[in-house]
Amino acid sequence: MARVSTRRVVFERVTILLITILFLLPVFWLISTAYKPSNQIFSAPPRLTFEPTFDQFRQAFAIFDVVSLVRSSLVISIGTTVLSLLLGVPAGYALARSKSRFAPGFAYFFLAIRMIPAIAALIPFYLLMRDIGLLGTWWAVIVFNTMLNCAFVTWMMFSYFKALPPDMEEAALTDGCTQMGAFLKVAVPTVRSGMIACALFCMMFSWNDFLHPMFLTTLDAKPISVALLTAYGTKDITWGTLGALAHFSTIPIVLMALFMNRYFVQGATNGVQ
Amino acid sequence: MHYSFANRRRLFLFLMATPAVLYVAAVGLWPLAQGIGYSFYKYNLLRPARTQFVGLQNYIDIFSDATTRKAILNTFQFTFFSVGLQLVLGFALALLLWRDSRFNRAVLAFLLIPSTITPLVVGLIFKAMLGADYGIIGYFLSDAGIGPRSGLLTDAGTALWMLILIDCWEWTPLMTLILLAGLKSLPGDVLEAGQVDGATAWQRFRLLILPLMLPSVFLALTLRTMDAFRVFDSVFVTTGGGPDDATNTLMLLGVKEGLQFFNVGFASAVGNVTLLFIALIATMLLLVVRRADVRINGK
Repeated sequence: MARVSTRRVVFERVTILLITILFLLPVFWLISTAYKPSNQIFSAPPRLTFEPTFDQFRQAFAIFDVVSLVRSSLVISIGTTVLSLLLGVPAGYALARSKSRFAPGFAYFFLAIRMIPAIAALIPFYLLMRDIGLLGTWWAVIVFNTMLNCAFVTWMMFSYFKALPPDMEEAALTDGCTQMGAFLKVAVPTVRSGMIACALFCMMFSWNDFLHPMFLTTLDAKPISVALLTAYGTKDITWGTLGALAHFSTIPIVLMALFMNRYFVQGATNGVQ
Repeated sequence: MHYSFANRRRLFLFLMATPAVLYVAAVGLWPLAQGIGYSFYKYNLLRPARTQFVGLQNYIDIFSDATTRKAILNTFQFTFFSVGLQLVLGFALALLLWRDSRFNRAVLAFLLIPSTITPLVVGLIFKAMLGADYGIIGYFLSDAGIGPRSGLLTDAGTALWMLILIDCWEWTPLMTLILLAGLKSLPGDVLEAGQVDGATAWQRFRLLILPLMLPSVFLALTLRTMDAFRVFDSVFVTTGGGPDDATNTLMLLGVKEGLQFFNVGFASAVGNVTLLFIALIATMLLLVVRRADVRINGK
């Protein structure tokens, strides 16, 4: 695309900038509620100026055990991510390198897991967790989310390994390297960016998830997403307090996606091929 | 010697794949199979003594009951319009962002924020903004006489459309990203040929870009359709399926029946019907992709 007039570039940039700002307005609104005094968030007519305050944060910390909520979210999402990668990366590698005619079929099977509406498996899983006594704990959520995520990781890593010629591993194997050595020392380092993309997506999925923990965890194990929902239904919690609490749910994941944008783009576009 | 190496290699790869396959089978497929079993029973956790085999009755109920039929229709309407709008908007944005520059990459990073934010929080934001009394959008609209007095999310005529709007806000950026990747992988020489021939921008789009983009478009459609069909978070938070059943969807119905009323049998049937619909839509879209692929590569 050569020879484009400066005028057109400026026009395109202004358009896209305006659209992006429009997309970000609701986020700004949410963030701003946390710094407004309660009587200025909603007023008829709504007003655009306010005197900033940190009262809402004080309120949020007074009502919620924010640290424990964030810790639950972290345990669930890091646990899910680690387990999904431990299961999914070797499986993706094996399916990509296998010469068996069943290998592509298995890869598509893992992709198909993506289609499952959670509710179809969640109810029997709920009963299963109740029977073995894990219902209400972090483990119940981690076990279920790992199933969904490791299938996704297997498919993603299958396509990453598939795009990588096997020559280097074969050379290492003929040089007397062990099978595990060829996998860990030769194959895995070359797909590092793919693994980071997978980890980012697993983190995002589990951190943002609230349907599964809502039913699978109890009060002391609930993550911040579930707390936000229960807080919403309560009368004495104002919108500002909710906005303050929402900071802890949205800001970490948005920052992660912004700083790891390269991997986000890579993962989102790789997942469709 | 060579033979034994090949065998050892095969065994190694087999062992590497086994844990994931077994895990997904045990935690995913086994509950799914159990769910199919439950769906043939009238089974409520609160009244386990009254469990009885009812054959296909749960499925018959889904398609004959007015509430569930409404949920099916809503799910289809929601999926069709939100994915359709996202495609048009996403394609336009992708074309605007096509030129590779630092500016465009930075804008894309920020544009993606709606797709990374917690969907639950998205629901809360819009619920607050669309409220007729104090919501920053809702107030001005109802003040100007546009939109229902009771609020856009609480009026049966507009609620589902508001949910479609929320979904578009949330997922158009991801659609843009996927289509942009497709645009960037187009063969440069073909596009330059179009420019040399003096084709107008619209002709270039319709005759060159669009046909080449068909596989990307359909893959993006497949992906987003599967997700939109399972919409839950934003609906649950904003309307909870109401007013009446105006915004009830299949996932919402299944979750309410199963995990709130503990109607395990009926909820399992709802889950299976949802899965069946998704599988059907995905298969249809993938068949179209394959045909589009053949048509382009055949040319």
